[in-house]
Amino acid sequence: MPVIVLLFFALFMVSGCAAPPAMKTKEAVFFPSAPTPPRIQFLTGIGDSRDVEGSEAELSLFSVNAVQKEELKTFSKPYGITASGTKLYVSDTISGKVAVIDLRLKSFTWLKGDFGPGKLKKPINLTTGPEGNLYVADTGRKQVVAYDVEGNFQRAYGPGYDMKPVDVAADDRRVYALDMSRHKILVFNKQNGELVEGLGQDADNPLERLYLATNMELTRQGLLYVANAGSGSIIKLDRDGNTLGSFGKMGDGFGQFGRPRGVAGDSKKRFYVVDAAHQNVQLFNEEDRLLMFFGDPGLPVGSLNVPAGIAVTDEDLDFYQQFAAPGFDLEQVILVVNQVGRYKVNIYGLGKMQGIDYEAYYRESLERMRKADPEQLKKR
Amino acid sequence: MKPDFYFVRGLILGCFMVVACLPFSAVAMVESCSTADCHADLNDIEFSHMPVADGDCTACHEQVTEQHPAQTGSSFQLVEAGAKLCYQCHDKYGRKLTVHAPVAEGDCLSCHDPHGSNQGPKLLPTDHDLTALCSNCHDSAMFTEAFGHGPAVAGACTQCHNPHEANQLGLLAKAPQQLCTGCHADIAEGLANAPIIHTAVKDSSCTACHNPHSAPAAKLLSQEIEAVCMECHGDVGRKAKKAKVKHAALYRPEKCSTCHAAHFSQHAALLAQPEQDVCLSCHGQDDYSRSKPLKNIAKDIAGKSHLHGPLQDGQCSACHDPHGSDNTRMLTGPYPASFYHPYTTGCYDFCLQCHDKNLLRFEQTTIYTDFRNGKQNLHYLHVANKYKGRSCRACHEPHAANLEKLMSEEGADFGDWKIPTRFVKTATGGSCSPGCHQTFEYDRENPVDYQK
Repeated sequence: MPVIVLLFFALFMVSGCAAPPAMKTKEAVFFPSAPTPPRIQFLTGIGDSRDVEGSEAELSLFSVNAVQKEELKTFSKPYGITASGTKLYVSDTISGKVAVIDLRLKSFTWLKGDFGPGKLKKPINLTTGPEGNLYVADTGRKQVVAYDVEGNFQRAYGPGYDMKPVDVAADDRRVYALDMSRHKILVFNKQNGELVEGLGQDADNPLERLYLATNMELTRQGLLYVANAGSGSIIKLDRDGNTLGSFGKMGDGFGQFGRPRGVAGDSKKRFYVVDAAHQNVQLFNEEDRLLMFFGDPGLPVGSLNVPAGIAVTDEDLDFYQQFAAPGFDLEQVILVVNQVGRYKVNIYGLGKMQGIDYEAYYRESLERMRKADPEQLKKR
Repeated sequence: MKPDFYFVRGLILGCFMVVACLPFSAVAMVESCSTADCHADLNDIEFSHMPVADGDCTACHEQVTEQHPAQTGSSFQLVEAGAKLCYQCHDKYGRKLTVHAPVAEGDCLSCHDPHGSNQGPKLLPTDHDLTALCSNCHDSAMFTEAFGHGPAVAGACTQCHNPHEANQLGLLAKAPQQLCTGCHADIAEGLANAPIIHTAVKDSSCTACHNPHSAPAAKLLSQEIEAVCMECHGDVGRKAKKAKVKHAALYRPEKCSTCHAAHFSQHAALLAQPEQDVCLSCHGQDDYSRSKPLKNIAKDIAGKSHLHGPLQDGQCSACHDPHGSDNTRMLTGPYPASFYHPYTTGCYDFCLQCHDKNLLRFEQTTIYTDFRNGKQNLHYLHVANKYKGRSCRACHEPHAANLEKLMSEEGADFGDWKIPTRFVKTATGGSCSPGCHQTFEYDRENPVDYQK
């Protein structure tokens, strides 16, 4: 009898320790919530390698280690994320690693070139260039470290410049390192690694000069969007460093920012800004007008938890569609890193529900708004 | 079999007797009703009602007194009252959507003479011109405007209207457009084949613009053509009225129809010809009629190797607003009228609505122009010079050129002189030897040091 009790206790312990599988929520979580037509759905989350590789091991009663395909890989305090093809790259600051995740292949590995000259110390943000190479901003090494498509170390940008690169962007000719210590974007020649110039301090308006900038995105239109924590705004620069404008300010209102973090643009010229203070993501159109926000705290699933990096992609939508509610057609996939909590990567889908006439709904809403406030009629 | 045979034979014989006696009885009636002394006028009617011609007076009348003429009162009365009398022989009206009022009221005699007419058939007091008859009830004012519709002028009212009843409003014989295109076959053919149909024609009837009987304006338009068009296109009218730079074509006698077809077209915006052809019909010839002649744009374009983008697509309206604009040369956006105009935000928005809006904004660039020496933006240098900024026309042709980027070969008009550019392009830059300054080269990769 004591043996049977012990067996049950052991069974309870094993199953209790197993993390829940990659989540497919029973009740779809939409933003905005009903009755407003849904535009964003929380699709699933990634907590550790089990959420990616599958859950064969989780319910094994007798021998967990024997059934697990590989060693369990977990995040300590992730920050940055980027998507390239079917691959996701997630930087983990505390452990000094970069996870390479392929959901389609159910693969979760650490970056291959992260050793020797390619060894990372404190990777913050990362991006991929047009050629598919990976660029990692490492404040521990004080460099941007480049790896090829296979993950092999290629070169480092910025040795000797004593910079604090918190984010990085790359085009076909140059590598842009967001240097928090200089409050500038240092531009390096991609081929020879030489410093070309420093951008971000030339604006006539002092509020549009970089100060405590934390994150940066090189958009498909070739503009640099920088999350400027010092002013609580997003500053837009061209690649020559000319300031093209800014939006947002410090505050907790709509379109304002507390601690702006990750920034990303999508193929439809929408722009996404993560806010670690508001713990949400705000969406803007190409005219910098707020469209909506999502991920606010308080939900059983789908809320963000001290979010940081963000990536938006419209590649591999077919794969992500399986996580969407029936009839909800995805247009973009939004990946947001949580620094703490069960899921370190929240995956959302931007889309539309079949059978809903969104344009008609928006027209009616606008009409209602106009009736409620005739002044709006004059403005719009 | 035998009884049947005798019955049939008897029936045929009986019928023969009745038919054989009929003429004699009718003649007897005529002789008795219409003699030299009585009802003689009925004998002289040219177009008689059939019973009158047949002398069958009792088809309609019946004797109600023993003596005729009666001592007092009438000795005959109609066998039925009103239209019921007519419906004894004629088909009954009143089942269709609209019924002519006299028909509905059974007052057939308001139009028809029951015995016949000397003027025309159908017991009507006219041969073909129904104007007088219809005008008895209908207001003749609608027929008296300056321009009359043929059938209305000729009194051929029944060409369009059914006088008794119809399934269309206004007693029209067919649906309005069908009715009109029944005669105006050229319009019918155009509507059937043209890709662009005027909405007014497609969604309304012809009477949206035309009066069917007579009208105060040519082509039976209910108002002058401009006013008719502005009924729907009021925004265009208001814009044209307010525009600081007006298009003369709008004020020609043809007004809107100078450029637009009214009913259908092969070309967008109901233009009578392809857009560029419409414009060049005025702007494509040498103008000797005025001191400030229209420029011959056709001559500017002819044979040139590089056309401005919109012109490649045959579009003039991408740059010029044909209904007028507040900008010089009716441009669709702000552009300075003068040769010199330093760049400030907005003043070159016409060009920058297609060309990069940051082209003239920054002194240094590697992005917005290839006309740069290293990073030095030479567009900025020329145009944003706050003392003597040159407008685009100083170097570029607006319509066509033989050099890339529409660089002017002949040069811009500068008073009595045309300033040549003498632009030469290289792989990484180029040079100019214009009338403005000495030869200067520029190079994007290896910038020229102008201080040397």
